[in-house]
This record gives sequence, C-alpha cells and structure tokens, in this order.
Amino acid sequence: MWRYFFRRVSLFLATTLIMMAVLFYTTHLFPVDEHYALSGVQQPTAEQIEQINNDFNLESNRFSQFLAYVQQRLSGNMGVSNNSQQQVYEELKTVLPASFELSLFSGFIALIFGVPIGVIAALSKNKLVQRSILGLTLTGYSIPVFWLGLSLSLWFGVNLGWLPISGQINLLYQIEPVSGFMLIDTLLSNSTYSQQAFIDALMHLILPAITLAVLPFTLIVRITRQAMLQVMNQTYIRAAEARGLHTLKIIIRHALPNAMIPVLKSIGIMLGSFASYGIVVEVIFSWPGVGSWLVSGIYQRDYTVIQAGILSVSLLIIFLSILIEFVHTAINPMSKKELYATY
Amino acid sequence: MPPIKIYKQDYIASPAGRVWKAFSHNPFALIGLWGVGFLLVLTLLAPFIAPYSVNEQNQQILLLPPSWDPLGHVEYFLGTDDLGRDIFSRILHGVQLTFGMSLIIVTCALFFGFIIGAISGMMRGLKSSILGHLLDGLLSIPSLLMAILVVAVIGPGLSNVFWAVGIAMVPQFIRTIHQAVHEELQKEYVTAAKLDGANDLQIFWYVIMPNIWEALIIQVTMAISAAILDIAALGFLNLGAQAPSPEWGAMIAQGLDNLLLAPWTVTIPGVAILFSVLAVNLVGDGLRSAIAPIRN
Repeated sequence: MWRYFFRRVSLFLATTLIMMAVLFYTTHLFPVDEHYALSGVQQPTAEQIEQINNDFNLESNRFSQFLAYVQQRLSGNMGVSNNSQQQVYEELKTVLPASFELSLFSGFIALIFGVPIGVIAALSKNKLVQRSILGLTLTGYSIPVFWLGLSLSLWFGVNLGWLPISGQINLLYQIEPVSGFMLIDTLLSNSTYSQQAFIDALMHLILPAITLAVLPFTLIVRITRQAMLQVMNQTYIRAAEARGLHTLKIIIRHALPNAMIPVLKSIGIMLGSFASYGIVVEVIFSWPGVGSWLVSGIYQRDYTVIQAGILSVSLLIIFLSILIEFVHTAINPMSKKELYATY
Repeated sequence: MPPIKIYKQDYIASPAGRVWKAFSHNPFALIGLWGVGFLLVLTLLAPFIAPYSVNEQNQQILLLPPSWDPLGHVEYFLGTDDLGRDIFSRILHGVQLTFGMSLIIVTCALFFGFIIGAISGMMRGLKSSILGHLLDGLLSIPSLLMAILVVAVIGPGLSNVFWAVGIAMVPQFIRTIHQAVHEELQKEYVTAAKLDGANDLQIFWYVIMPNIWEALIIQVTMAISAAILDIAALGFLNLGAQAPSPEWGAMIAQGLDNLLLAPWTVTIPGVAILFSVLAVNLVGDGLRSAIAPIRN
C-alpha cells in the first residue's frame, strides 16, 4: 500500500508541475508586458520592476524563471488584481469557500437523492419505472446547464417568486465572515437576526445548488444502477437471501458497500466537468464564488486573477481526483489484489 | 439472388451485425439515430433550407412570438428576436456552428489522441507512464478553464473555441485509448499472436485494433455531446462565438436581455441544444447497451 501511496504522491507532484508549466508558458503569451502579467501592476515604478525581476528571476534563464514562478505562486504571491487593486490571494480566500459551499451542498443533494433512486431503478421489476428513471437521467445529462439555470430562475424566481435568484444572501443582513461558509457564518453570528439570515442564506442556496446537482445526480443514478445490477447477481447476495435476511438489510449491508465503489470512482472522473458546470451556474446566479470571479476576470482581462483562479481550481481538481483514486484503491480489496499480483 | 441453402446450417451474424441487431431493437436508440441523421442532413443543407439569411433584419416585426401563439405569424415560424431576425433561420444556420463544429473538434481530437494513446498504450514501463500521464496535467484543467486561458491569450472568437475544446478533449481520448490498448495487451490471444512472431505493428493493427473499436466509438459519442455543450456554454459566456453569430449558446446570451418579455428567444435555442445532445446521447447509450452483452 505504501508503494502505491508514494506512486500517487509522485503522480500528484508531476501533474502539478505540468499544470504549472502550462500556466507559466501561457503567462508569457498574454498580450501584455511580462511584468504586468506576473504582478498585476499596470504601470510599475522602477522599484517595483526591480522587485518583480527579483521575485520571478526574470534576468536568468527560462528554467530558473519557472522555478521562481512556482515558488512565488505556491507561497501565495499571486500579485494584485488590476481591477480591484486588492491582493489576489486575499480575494481568493473569500471566493473559494463560497464555491465550496455551493459544490458541497449540490454534491450532497446529488448523493442523497441519486443513490436511492439508482437502487430503485436497479431493483424495480416494473418496466415503466425503469424506463422513466433512465429517460429522466438521460435528459438531465443532456440539458445545457445555463439553459436549465435560466429556466429555473424564470419559473421559481420570477414567475412564482418563491426563491431568490442572485447572490449568496440578502444584502440587508450583515454577516461577519468567519469560515466563509455563509450557512455556518449566519449560525455563528450573534446578532438578533441570525435565524432569519440562516433561512435567507438557505433560500439563496437552493436554486443554484439544484441546478448544479443535476449533472452529478444523473451520473450517480446511472452508475449506482449499473453497479447494483451487477452486485445483485453475485453469489453472496444469493447466500444472504438463502439465510432469510430482509431485503432492505441485504441491500444496505451487503450490496450497497460494493456498489458504491464504482460510484466513488466516477465521482473522481466527473470532477472536471462538475467544475465547468459550477462556473456557469455561479455566473447565472451571481454566486460570489471562484467561477464568477474568474469569468469577470476574463471579461476585464485581469491576468493575475485568471492565473490564480485557474491555478487554484486545477490544483484542487488534481488533488481531489488523486485522493479519490487512492481511497478507491484503499477500500477496494479487488484492486489491491490486482496491484500486488501484477506489480 | 438469395444464397442457395444446401446445408442445414445456422447463419451466425458478424459482431458488427449482432451489435446492429441489438441496437435496432432499442426504439430509443433508433430515435436517437434518426435525430443524429437529421442533424447531419441539416448541417449540410441548412443554408438552402433556411427561409431568411442569418442577419436579415425586419424592423417592422421585433420580438414576434412563435407561430403557434395567436400573435405569431407563420412566415416567421419560430418568431423573431429583438432585431427582427427570423429565429428559425438562425437555428438552422446554428446547426453548422454548434453541431458541425463539435464534429470537427472531435475528429481532430480523435486523430491526435488516437496516435498518442496507441503509442503510449503499446509501450511499457516508464516511457508509457510518461506519455500516458503527460497530458493528465491538461486533463485536470476543465474545458471551460482551458477556454478562459485560450481567450486570455488570443481573445474571444469561434476559432478559439476550436482550440479550447480540442485541447481539453485530446487527453480524454489519449486516456481511453491508452487504457483500452493496455487492457487488451494483457490478454492471452495477444500473447499467442506474439508467439507466432507478429511484430508490434501487426499486433496493434490486426490483433488489438478490432477489439478496441467499441471503446473508441462510445468515447466519440460522449465527446460529441460534451463538445456541443461546451461550445454552447462558451457562446453563452461570451467567450466563444460573438454577438451576431447564430451559434446556439450565443443566441441564448443575446436573448437574455429580453428573457421576461420574449422567453422564446432563450427557450428555442435551448431546446435545439437539448435535442441534439439528447440524440447523440441516445445513440451512445444504445451502442453501449448493444455492445455490453457481446463484450462479456
């Protein structure tokens, strides 16, 4: 297991380096002055140029420039945003938790609805139920997310007026950011209206979270169904049935843990498109997360923001997908066997 | 003339024939196939069918509802947008941009992905690992972020969508083909061919290739649907096709200003995207379930 762990860690480092190299290369392709692209200061003074040259080793060869770039970026020197004149790192710290809140919540929705529906689709003998669940998931998988978001906000936000459609919380509430997660912050705040603020934040979360949950939900349903169909044909399930166990117990104790393994793997594969969808959803619902920050950054050609956003999101995706792959191998005895038999 | 049957013998269909038989027994997959065929025909013939040209404006009728609405007019079948342009014609022209473009992107990505994936799949050890994982770094950048990076360098535009989506798609093909080739290489019939003295090229082309077609086809259908969604999403975010273009995502972005007044300017392109992605996915799904029992 340790050997495998170190192989994954080295893969993580290698992928990160490749990703940084791509970013480093494109930074020099940006149609602006090198100093501006690296630091975000549009008209640097002589001292600032000196400082940037020092920081990024601009006088030496490309390779040591790259090393300096990696070192600067990873130590948190992302430059200043040309648009807001704030430190990009500080902005990143405020937008990342908001994105986490949205994606965790919608991932949670997708899991708690997706797994049971997938199990029902697998176990149901009724053709109609199977067909309608499959048809529904295929449609959900094919819907363009921006269109879905617009339609939902038009129906539930504007026509019915049930839910707010933009932002993270009503501007009336003044909430001190502690963790950055609005739901937690509203509960932590000791103002008199923290209860109402919590409900308001929850209402703001519902529409974007549901829009974003559609893609993982459909994938989870389909993969759970497939895995359950396979697992339920195994002999140990028949043995459990022969022992006279209750069907619910068989499903929860014997079938689901094995069926969840491919689901875990597919979550790892899905992360990239999930992030893409997240960006679009954040833009539609004006969610103050890293996605809308990044898109407004590209509209204003805010090069430091673009670099920081891409770097942080990609690093997160690399890290999470390798972590999920590792956990998948660790909890799956089959793949462990494979690992030691062949390598 | 039908073949004369002298011997009492069962006709055994070829693998492709069996796949087709299973595929055509699934009505949804057939509907999808008809849909894809329809889109292909439209891609070729759209400019000849469309009643108006893309940017022809009729200032007399702005925001005309679709023809089934009492206020609508059948000459403008799907209504007009805020500049008096016929939405039906724009949708037809958009087929070429959104659907046709996705086909081109997938073909190019398939070409490069196939070459690199096949080479890295046939090799072993560190070399294979390096080639196979080289683009994992790119794979971790979602297609939308890749597009933002490309736009930051060369500015927005439809041709940049090609690069952005294409670059994001190549690693997926490499990974699929690498894995498929690698899996087949472990099997016994490959060893048998090797013992017969086949060289690497022969093993790849005659032994492995016939067995990875399925994985390849499924990946292609998935890639086409993903490419359509990506192109449209980029158009919607104003990073891809720009304003007067009839690309479906860009049409939605243009209709956004009148969403409350004229929801059809947003709904109709959305339905068009949904229809084409659904058709491609139905075909892919049908293929997968047709191939699965034969594979196992």
